[in-house]
Amino acid sequence: MAVSVLTRDQLRWQAAQERVTIDRSCRGPVLAFCATALFWLLVGSLLALVASIKLHSPYFLTGSPTWTFGRVRMAHLQAVALGWSSLAAMAACLWLMCRLARVELVYPRMLYLACALWNIATTLAVIGILLGDGTSVEWLDAPTYSHPFFVAGVGLVTAWVVATFRRRREQHVYVTQWYILAAVFWFPWLYTVATLMIFWAPATGVIQPIVNWWFNHNFLGLWVTPIGVGIAYYIIPKILGRPIHSYYLSITGFWTLALFYSWAGMHHLIGGPIPAWLATASTVGSMMMFIPVIAVAINHHMTMIGHFHRLKYSPALRFTVFGAIAYTAVSFQGSIESLKDFSEVAHFTHYTVGHAHLGVYGFLAMILFGLYYYMIPRLTGREWYSSQLIRLHFWCSAIGITLYFTALSIGGWWQGRMLNNPNVPFANIVMYVQPYLALRTVAGTIMTIGHIAFTTLFVINIAGWGRHRSSGPTLFSQPPLPVSSPWPSTTNIIGTPSTHL
Amino acid sequence: MDRGMILFVGVLLTFTSSWLGLVLFPFWQLQNQPTFQAEPEDEPYPRPLQGAAWTGMKVYQKNGCMYCHSQQVRSERFGNWWEDPTGIMRTGGDIRRGWGYRRNVSRDYIHDNPTMLGTMRTGPDLANIGNRYSAAWQHIHTYNPRAINSWSIMPSFAFLYRKERIVGARSEKALPLGREWTVRPGYRWRPSPQEWQTILQRYGDQIKERFLLEVGPPTFDWNQPDGQNLLLDYWLTTPEEGWQILPTDEAEALVAYLLSLRKAEYPLPEAKE
Repeated sequence: MAVSVLTRDQLRWQAAQERVTIDRSCRGPVLAFCATALFWLLVGSLLALVASIKLHSPYFLTGSPTWTFGRVRMAHLQAVALGWSSLAAMAACLWLMCRLARVELVYPRMLYLACALWNIATTLAVIGILLGDGTSVEWLDAPTYSHPFFVAGVGLVTAWVVATFRRRREQHVYVTQWYILAAVFWFPWLYTVATLMIFWAPATGVIQPIVNWWFNHNFLGLWVTPIGVGIAYYIIPKILGRPIHSYYLSITGFWTLALFYSWAGMHHLIGGPIPAWLATASTVGSMMMFIPVIAVAINHHMTMIGHFHRLKYSPALRFTVFGAIAYTAVSFQGSIESLKDFSEVAHFTHYTVGHAHLGVYGFLAMILFGLYYYMIPRLTGREWYSSQLIRLHFWCSAIGITLYFTALSIGGWWQGRMLNNPNVPFANIVMYVQPYLALRTVAGTIMTIGHIAFTTLFVINIAGWGRHRSSGPTLFSQPPLPVSSPWPSTTNIIGTPSTHL
Repeated sequence: MDRGMILFVGVLLTFTSSWLGLVLFPFWQLQNQPTFQAEPEDEPYPRPLQGAAWTGMKVYQKNGCMYCHSQQVRSERFGNWWEDPTGIMRTGGDIRRGWGYRRNVSRDYIHDNPTMLGTMRTGPDLANIGNRYSAAWQHIHTYNPRAINSWSIMPSFAFLYRKERIVGARSEKALPLGREWTVRPGYRWRPSPQEWQTILQRYGDQIKERFLLEVGPPTFDWNQPDGQNLLLDYWLTTPEEGWQILPTDEAEALVAYLLSLRKAEYPLPEAKE
């Protein structure tokens, strides 16, 4: 690269122009992934409500096999995990890799194809399950005829991400890029091995749930967590205009996650008919997870220190930081849950469901929302229409997940205690958890309202009805500004990973 | 870490370690686990599912029963959170509940495909359910669980049953349920007060006659509203005239599968504690 004799402002202008070019090239495919992801979030939310209501009002939608609880529950998981979470995660991979590699997106048709394939797969999954082709394999409930579409879809995304990385203009490889590259490498391998050993060349007996939980836990730990953490690593320093606290902590966090997370999966089978060494190995892996989680938490926290007041203003930052804090909390909880004494109580109960949702919603979904709030205006050139709706979305999601987690943790814990006591009739246990399950429906309804608000904002933005981006971002409230600049100064370019980001 | 190759190799090696440890080693350890025979002339345990039971397993699978019911009895030594009457902390809640005679081990599942261990106990563990309830019980319970347990939140699987007009005699396979469970299959029916009055006007005498026959002289005045309510309670338990609820093939298969679930019964050497 030629030595620049431009002023700092001219450099910033050049960098901004580059970003505009990159964003413009990403627009179509990334928005396709984002829009379809949001569709599945709505579908998944409705399926969730149906399932939740059935657990305290069993006569709700009784009478047809299509809407029986078991099928709705499988369909819900496919819609939110494979539909919403994965599509939004893939959108993140595409946009962030382009931005961080500082290179435009090419061959967009391949990505439209990938988006279409993945959506076909998810549609086949959800409808197939409701019509009776569910597999009763957790997280892999989708009928086998959907598998080729999932593989092809993510295969294209992986190939494209790697190809973009190889075309990079930016020499320095930022931490988010490590996480993205790792995730798109791990996920296809996980998926192929698991589907092979469970469906196409089925292994004997308990090997199936062993492989299944290796896959499921790694779906969380090696697919969506790296992308979620990667997004936070991007959004937080970007909005604050400060570098991440420690490069070496980010290295530690990445490699220890890669090593330990993948070993933790058997904690879902503690006490089960598996070899004892497997359960122990996973408890060790789960406890070692404290290391990467603490590394990431320190990194994010120390970057935020002194700037928490910014959470009052920036929606993207608020959602992302909420998610990052939830990540720390859910990971600590998960490590503790893997200990035998704890698992003895919490396993098989609604406590686990609460934990799972703190992870996929409190952590992942909130960070994905944060990414949308940051990224979409840069792709469409339109800012968000109403800060009131954003506020509604945030509080519905935050209050919803808090209520959800609290209700199921309390109910689930005592459910577990009672399950272990043979003197407690099963009837008492069922009746005991009812009010907590009803609270969960309330929480889910609140969350769904937030999703509707979010979808409204998204549709308005896509349709071009928001104001133009040049008039400044939509904030919760206006921060105190110096008269000259339209946005608090983000001038601390020196020290960000690259001066051009 | 600016070199893609370092990233690639590192990501490959860390992942491969877990693939080896959590997938390949268990595969080598467990893939060819043989059946067990105490004496050479014994039947090998476990036996694969036969006929209707196999079809029933498919019904269980596609309706997601696993998402509320586990099929794994935990060890005698597992769980130490209850006190027995002498105040000592005890273990083995699963077995004490009667959910199995012993814990489950990997050999119990070698013929299961898919292996539906389950991770939720919204409902009880079913590993050994074949031992606990009869086919008749299972049919009624599957049709509408609240016909047996009023507190149950299990879905009604009335769609696995068909409501048919009786031609000739009532079938032997008809579910022995009162009309409150059969008028609207899957739901529990109770006529509104106006509907009950209409019914009483048309059929009141027959109902009272039947009551006298089956129960005896009433201990309440069935011309008063309270008494009429009690009469209604009785009438709801009588079978619906001319209609019967019969299991479809899927229901028969499902019950056959449930009866075949005796995974925690046969004594295995490795399951001894």
